[in-house]
Amino acid sequence: MWMTPQIPRVIRIQDFRGEKLGEEDSDEMVGYRQQPGKLPFSKPGSGGKNQFSEPRDESSIPESQGGSKAQPWGDHRHDEIVSGRVIGKPTALVDSRWKVTGQAQYGDDIRLPGELVGRIIRSPHHYARVLSIDASKALDLPGVLAVATGQDATSAFGVLPVTKDEHAMAQDKVRHVGDLVACVAAVDEASAREACRLIEVEYEVLDSIHDMRDGLEDSDLPIHDRGKYHIGESNVQKRVFQEFGNVEDMRDSMASHSSDWLFAGANHGFTEPHAVVAHWDPSGRLTLYTPQQVPHYLHRALADVLEVPMHQINVYRTFVGGGFGGKSDPFPHEMCAAILARKTGKPVRINFDREEVFWVNRGRHPSRIGMSIHSDSEGRISGIETDALIDGGAFASFGHVTTYYNGVLHTAPYEIGGFHYTGARVWTNKPASGAMRGHGAVNSRCAVEVGLDDICEQLNVDPIDFRLANLLPPHSSTITGFRVTSIGMRECLEKVREASGWDEKFRKMPLGRGIGVGCGFFISGSGLPIHWDPNKFPHATVHLKIDMDGGVTIHTGAADIGQGSDTVVAQSVAEVLGLPLDMIRVRSRETDTSPVDLGSYSSRVTFMNANAAISAAMEIRAELIKATSEITGAPEKKLVIGDRRIFRKDDPAVGVSYLEALHKSQEDRGALVSSGSYRTPPMGRVHKGAAAGLAPAYSFSAYVAEVEVDVETGQTKVLKVWAAHDCGKALNPLSVEGQIIGSCHMGMGQVLSEEMRYGRTGHLINPDLLDYKIPTVHEMPQVFPIIVESNDPEGPFGAKEAGEGPLLPILPAVVNAVYDATGVRVSELPISPDRLYKAIEKKCRKDGVSSPTEMKTPRISHSELQEKIVERGKSHSERDIERRRGKEPSPYHNGALFGLDPEVPGDEQDSRWTAVVTPSEEYLESPGLAGSAWKHVERRKRGDSQ
Amino acid sequence: MVQYRLPMLPPSDEVDWGASVNGNAVSTRLESNAILLDVLRDSLGILGTKRGCDMGTCGCCSVLVDGSPRLSCLMLAQEANGCEITTVEGLSDGHHLHPIQQTFTECGGSQCGFCTPGFLVVISALLGENPEPSEGEIKSAIEGNLCRCTGYQQIVDSVKEASNILCNGANVDDSTDPKSDPHPGFSG
Repeated sequence: MWMTPQIPRVIRIQDFRGEKLGEEDSDEMVGYRQQPGKLPFSKPGSGGKNQFSEPRDESSIPESQGGSKAQPWGDHRHDEIVSGRVIGKPTALVDSRWKVTGQAQYGDDIRLPGELVGRIIRSPHHYARVLSIDASKALDLPGVLAVATGQDATSAFGVLPVTKDEHAMAQDKVRHVGDLVACVAAVDEASAREACRLIEVEYEVLDSIHDMRDGLEDSDLPIHDRGKYHIGESNVQKRVFQEFGNVEDMRDSMASHSSDWLFAGANHGFTEPHAVVAHWDPSGRLTLYTPQQVPHYLHRALADVLEVPMHQINVYRTFVGGGFGGKSDPFPHEMCAAILARKTGKPVRINFDREEVFWVNRGRHPSRIGMSIHSDSEGRISGIETDALIDGGAFASFGHVTTYYNGVLHTAPYEIGGFHYTGARVWTNKPASGAMRGHGAVNSRCAVEVGLDDICEQLNVDPIDFRLANLLPPHSSTITGFRVTSIGMRECLEKVREASGWDEKFRKMPLGRGIGVGCGFFISGSGLPIHWDPNKFPHATVHLKIDMDGGVTIHTGAADIGQGSDTVVAQSVAEVLGLPLDMIRVRSRETDTSPVDLGSYSSRVTFMNANAAISAAMEIRAELIKATSEITGAPEKKLVIGDRRIFRKDDPAVGVSYLEALHKSQEDRGALVSSGSYRTPPMGRVHKGAAAGLAPAYSFSAYVAEVEVDVETGQTKVLKVWAAHDCGKALNPLSVEGQIIGSCHMGMGQVLSEEMRYGRTGHLINPDLLDYKIPTVHEMPQVFPIIVESNDPEGPFGAKEAGEGPLLPILPAVVNAVYDATGVRVSELPISPDRLYKAIEKKCRKDGVSSPTEMKTPRISHSELQEKIVERGKSHSERDIERRRGKEPSPYHNGALFGLDPEVPGDEQDSRWTAVVTPSEEYLESPGLAGSAWKHVERRKRGDSQ
Repeated sequence: MVQYRLPMLPPSDEVDWGASVNGNAVSTRLESNAILLDVLRDSLGILGTKRGCDMGTCGCCSVLVDGSPRLSCLMLAQEANGCEITTVEGLSDGHHLHPIQQTFTECGGSQCGFCTPGFLVVISALLGENPEPSEGEIKSAIEGNLCRCTGYQQIVDSVKEASNILCNGANVDDSTDPKSDPHPGFSG
């Protein structure tokens, strides 16, 4: 027998009537002084529970505004507008009540009257030519209203304008199992599925390729044909060559690390499968409901594919059940829904099975990374050589960028003597890889950090001290010319060292227990907007509207995918206007009403949208202060904004309420509206590819992980993670901690259990959440999130990103901890028990021990160099504090640690330092794996008839 | 597999079906092989219960059937005939959130929110039985639910905090209470 769960709730019982009557009797006005000449406002009498202005939270207001908080990281341009309301306080997401009551509508929750169900016919072959599609039987089935094929939409699209290689459905070829061939719309799911079965497709099966190394070779029929831009006759989609610094001498070193990594592909594993509803309304406009991270790019792609003007389309972003990069491409199924809705004149809903999510994929690239790191006798990182071959699957997606990110995103936080990078992305007949949390940086970062651990082992120095002695200072420039502003890397390392008890544990724990460190560096927003060239539009725009009720409506295109972007934008506005969050409402769902925004990718939302929101709110703030000045006669400069009041800084009793100031400023013009925008400052150097990885700010993180390895079974368990992340300023510490812990979860999955496994015939054999192993609550270690606030000069209130960067360090921290626990250095992820046990067995054989339990674990006795690098770390620490507090720090280019003049880039002052982006003939004589992509000549440069 | 080679199942017999869903008596006719999740979402329009995988791996579709958590995607509607079914919509009374809903918002238990309904019903059953669960008991209760955003830690924190509310009592806000006054200090 079921009983209503007994929930002993303590419900606040108040006699509201009595409370209000009591106040009505009183004429006292706390904190309010009637001003002579004040206009007689009608009393708004809106009631409300927060009747009285709360005192300002002095601790969160910087000194420059009269607060008590000292500024250890220097002043910030937003100090003056901090009102001590919401910034920096743990804040529930503004839409969380919708989520916990089940009222949040995700893609599949949009149900329109008379809607049809769409299904997609997918290719069963890896690579095949579609010879014919016979839909007659399907169309005869009662309840089937339409069938669409590739002929219904022939325009190509793709998220990057340079690599548009996708179509709504197959034009002539299918390129992976699961590729779209046709789609149907029927009255219900069963009929739609049956129709899919009845459609007869004739294929000519072609030779498919599955190993990424095969993609480097010439092929009879490359997976895509890029015409004159095609690289030879190969399947190389993108190749990058970069050499910076003193490449000539870097290999002449005291310690060198070299390893060949194999990273398996990973899927985002968001819980909400893709779903889309398309509806052409009676006025002939299309509304497309979809959980999208980048509604604007979809908006453009839809206009191209459907051949209608953009203003005829409204992309409605539903709640997004997790994105992580996996919902940031315009997708073919979204086109299919729109095409079917257009054909049938009825709304069409397509929702995916979990299996289909894996066919769409766009997850982490399977990669083969060759990593060499060199250190000189001073304990400096004299060179990093990376050769990254990444498996792009069947489409380009974000791959152009990923190919760069695999290299350029490990040129910091360390000062390095030389940097050599060759990267290549190839097409294979697999579901496409794309952007996934930590885009492009995760795998190569893992290889770098594990390499540094090995270097320290060879040099007999502490890996944390080694890192501390090689960091770039604040306001510096990396070897490839990225502009680093704030950097809290040092503090991150120091804090995790202390919190984890590093010095007592490292290389001191028994067999099977280990501790390891890893660092991360990630962009806080991409400096170059993908779709705008030349870059004339701002990156983010926010509109504000305040009507007489006093509530603030924010229109932003920032896509909240659960990370809390609506909340952070609302917080920023609330902070500037001194309002509580319940007076702010965010409208961010529809492209009809929101200004153009690039969407939620490359960790750009907080930095760019909050900055835009602040500048919009500043306009309103100025209006309110002007109105207050008119009412009270106080000079504008003396006025500050507190909790729903605007008052004299030096005499807080003189002031008016927010609503009074608002009504005054609305007298002549009605609603207050404003618009703010953000664009990145000019940055970077001019070589080819210089814009990839450029960001207005960078986040830094350092993790220490403690693991337990069962050496007899190869099972690894992560016990604890100390996770320090420099996010500039935690606007919402609750969310920042959530992002850090969530990143640990996702990274831990990749390093220990998650893997897209392809069988012998090239089929994906685990397209479901049973066999694709996402960590459950039992696998999760205890994570201690540590927030480091480096007060970025250009970030909103000093903030930088916190969504992706925190994922990077967990992989190398775990790999290094496994080494500490077992003496086995793995170079293949995930570290599944079978892989690790094989490596343990190998080590046993090599060491001549009979049982894994008798293995010796690594120990350390510091060399002379240790003292030297500790000293250097200390002096750098002082240098850094001076630089971050100084008003205008002098230029500092990577290379100063190697004796160069910090004022000038290395290649401009020393002939041994280079900056080249095309390989020399000498290199091509013995290229690395990815480097061999350069043996092909682009067709247009080949000089033959093609 | 990708290509659906099996022909459509012939429609099965229709049967009478009735249940109490979130306290409301529901009776309808449905096919005898209908899945409970499909009935809830597609027939009854109770969309708070989410479909994540259709094979019992993610826990997003969890509902309470006669008070115990069940995966509605692996359950024939017939099995729940005549039962009391509680979905996430049934946890709050409209004004007051269930303590676990309240703490999910305050402690960051919900980020994207898609897995949240599943977690909430499972946890509400746990707290109904045991208002003061240990960390181990909390973890065992939610082991069948996957969350990709939070890494579970803030979910466990939320449960502890909800347990605190249940044991010690605390205010649960009424969501229809008046909100902030834009004209503070000037009421009346």
